[in-house]
Amino acid sequence: MSKAVIDTKESWIERILKKDWTPYVVFAIPLIFLSIFLFWPLVTTLLRAFLGPGFAMNFENLGTENFSRFFTSRLYQRSLRNSLIIGFAVVVTTAFIGIPMGYCVARVKMPFKNLLLSLGILPIIMPSFIGAFSWIILLGRQGVVRLFLNTFLTPLGIEIPSIYGLFGIIFTMSLALYPFVFLLSYGAFSSANPLLEEAAMMMGSSRWRIMRTITLPLVIPSLGASAILVFIRSIGNFGIPAILGGEQYVLPTLIYFRVNGFWDLNGAAAIATVSIFITGGMLLLQKFVISRREYETISASRSEHKLHTHWAARLFATLYCGIVLLLSMAPNIAIIIMSFFERWRGPYPEGFTWNNYLRIPQVISSEIFNSLYLAVSASIITAVLGCLIAYIVERRRPKGAIILDLAVMAPFILPGIVVSVALLSAFSSGSILALGGTYTIIIISFTIRRTPYVFRSVVASLSQLDETLEESSMISGANWVYTFRRVSLPLIMPGILAGTILTFATLLQELSTTVLLYSARTRTVPIQIFAAVQDGFFGEGAAMSVMLLVTVFIVVYIMNRMLGRSVSSSFKLG
Amino acid sequence: MSLSLTYEGVGKTFDPSGKNPVRALDNVSFRIEPGELFCLLGPSGCGKTTLLRCTAGLESITGGKIFYGDRDVTSIPPFRRNIGMVFQSFALYPHMSVYENVAYGLRVRKVPEAQVRVKVTEMMELVGLPDVLKRNPSPTALSGGQQQRVAVARALVYDPEILLLDEPLANLDAKLRRHMRAEIRRIQKITNITTIFVTHDQEEAMAIGDRLAVLRHGVVEQIGTSDQLYHNPESAFVANFIGKMNFFHGRVSATTNDSVTVETAVKGVAVTASGEKVRIHGDRALGREVLIGARPEQLSISRTKDPHGLPGTVSIIQHLGQFVRYEVQTEGGIAERALEVDVDHLIPDLNEGDPVFVRIDEKNAGVYDSEGER
Repeated sequence: MSKAVIDTKESWIERILKKDWTPYVVFAIPLIFLSIFLFWPLVTTLLRAFLGPGFAMNFENLGTENFSRFFTSRLYQRSLRNSLIIGFAVVVTTAFIGIPMGYCVARVKMPFKNLLLSLGILPIIMPSFIGAFSWIILLGRQGVVRLFLNTFLTPLGIEIPSIYGLFGIIFTMSLALYPFVFLLSYGAFSSANPLLEEAAMMMGSSRWRIMRTITLPLVIPSLGASAILVFIRSIGNFGIPAILGGEQYVLPTLIYFRVNGFWDLNGAAAIATVSIFITGGMLLLQKFVISRREYETISASRSEHKLHTHWAARLFATLYCGIVLLLSMAPNIAIIIMSFFERWRGPYPEGFTWNNYLRIPQVISSEIFNSLYLAVSASIITAVLGCLIAYIVERRRPKGAIILDLAVMAPFILPGIVVSVALLSAFSSGSILALGGTYTIIIISFTIRRTPYVFRSVVASLSQLDETLEESSMISGANWVYTFRRVSLPLIMPGILAGTILTFATLLQELSTTVLLYSARTRTVPIQIFAAVQDGFFGEGAAMSVMLLVTVFIVVYIMNRMLGRSVSSSFKLG
Repeated sequence: MSLSLTYEGVGKTFDPSGKNPVRALDNVSFRIEPGELFCLLGPSGCGKTTLLRCTAGLESITGGKIFYGDRDVTSIPPFRRNIGMVFQSFALYPHMSVYENVAYGLRVRKVPEAQVRVKVTEMMELVGLPDVLKRNPSPTALSGGQQQRVAVARALVYDPEILLLDEPLANLDAKLRRHMRAEIRRIQKITNITTIFVTHDQEEAMAIGDRLAVLRHGVVEQIGTSDQLYHNPESAFVANFIGKMNFFHGRVSATTNDSVTVETAVKGVAVTASGEKVRIHGDRALGREVLIGARPEQLSISRTKDPHGLPGTVSIIQHLGQFVRYEVQTEGGIAERALEVDVDHLIPDLNEGDPVFVRIDEKNAGVYDSEGER
């Protein structure tokens, strides 16, 4: 019997002190951060949406004037209509581009599969507004490809329209977003159990019947997920319609117009609210309609798919994928060429020069510093926050963890510009915490937007990590913090790194959030490129774009080599 | 110095306020003596692993108290309890070497490096792996048996007061398992640490444990030594879980102060049990339905008509080495399922399909409640 008899009657204070409170403290950090910088701004946005332009926050001022513009103003109606048209059109076009491509790469014997899969990811990583910019070079009023095609088509009475307007927006977005559909449907087609199809063949089904009754139904859930993702991204995209829209407004550019043109935050808040409801509705639709049709594949053995080997199938697959890849790569090539010339109007670029590059250090050295500073600091905060939330949600699940789940999902339905409006609503000058024009507000917006990337990446690593490793550490006498530092953290490090580096790469090119938040002091490289394109300095814009593209590419390439992970895994939805 | 371990009315309900509260442990009270190797035994889902995890502090209990010696540890987190635990999966850290794995608990305790080296070497010798430290590989490069030994060394290196083993042998193959259970008993006896060993394998539990507790539905059915549980099971469940037990339907036909006579479905065949052999709870009214339980070796078999034997047909004959097992199918109403009868030698000229008579060894047969599952 132990001699050290400890009094078993302990007071409640002692009991409270003995309890391990660390998880609760850690739980509080992201909760407080998200409450202040996500929930509170969203609440103020909602409130502001019901205030007239310039009105102060006051119950007597509440009204629905802002929303009534959707019924009275032609500009509002057309913007909403354009956004919806673009959203649905891009879903359809990306499906037409991506699904056959996914099927071909998964099921047809063809060359360059790995190349296709790795280059296929590029349009997602590369900034889409740069794509829009380079399509102007190729298909703009004086675009080289357009002029070239029109010389053949004009005699036939057809003319390729210029890239400006709805057509151009849909075209550019489709090429920027098809990889989601391609990669997800590739995954679905290649992981579907081939025995199911073989069984159907044994029972005498024709190929087409198998396709219709077995293959497609099995991949529908992932196709549905990718369609929603494409829809949300396309109606939230700011850069492409801002550059190519011309007279045609969409909801994000309308918000920009409202804030930049009139400094009407309340009006912008109302548009943002409408936008949130559209994407939120789509997300619910996905949850209740599509994910219900998810099938458990019942199989233990993993046999390979028999690939189509008919020469016609192979030829078609190779050509098709080649053309799509060429189309999606064309902007990058055009932009590289452009960066060495003064102008490119008509068939050939003119005025070869190094100046576009040589001027970079003078013109945008502070922007480069800003971009790096903002991306690095936001990436670090994002990594810590995403990591904490993932750990809490996946491992501890205290009461209230659902708030964190929601908070982490929220940025998926919040376009960048909506996040900016929300932050401005809460923290513009005059509010309790005035952050307008500071680095802080941009870092916060980045953090809010990108935490899901790190979160998803870490959750994936954590779910593969045997929980008994952590338990055994606790048994050995290590508390929560020590266990996390010595056991969990080293083992989930690859996941954290992948998520963080990816975050860094996307933040370097972030335009849609910064465009409302930057001040003269906090301009970034994408802002500078955007301005150069709008002012017609194509050569300079192209050189800066190339610099950005190369940086992003190197970062992502290093990450892939270091971690051997597929970038696409971090992009999936919910 | 080893500690005792005491459970006082321990209860655990998962998701108590949710839609489907699951009661995993119900009013568990018993005491494990200092230095004892104690087995928790039961079918899957009986609560044995939950009880172990509650003992470790990995799950918080929803009722009662747990004491290490005199110390109430009920609300103390696992890392302040000074215990060792070996997991079914071994839970070795893949990102650390074997040495670092074993040293982990010492590093947590900020033991000086020189002492760490001595302790780790000592432990690796105790578990029979002194040579592994020379190469000091990642634990993933070790065989299952070696991983097991490293896990044991890691759990013991900081002199824990209690050692908990959660099905530690389940991931090893049958031969290694038998060897390792002897090893674990040897190491436990050397270190004399109070130890709980969880298993669903009754043979393993009987072989290794000083005492055993049989759990069912979160309730302790019986606690005792292997011998007590085998020869004096308190319920039909324990009787059937520890070794094999044949059950016959019967009715109480006579009672005295000490004994109960039970008549089987065959007129004239009855068993009188007394003392500990009577495990009927509640009343002993005449005509009440009960069960007669007899081990396979407590039955005998004969080909000639026996007025005290129960008629049946041999369905399967298995020669199992030291004994021969006859499976006998009885007629409806006599027994629940085919009887297993173990005899020392093959009975000449008895073939599958032959009619036989089975006699119950009256001295050893027990009488049990017929309610409840077995």
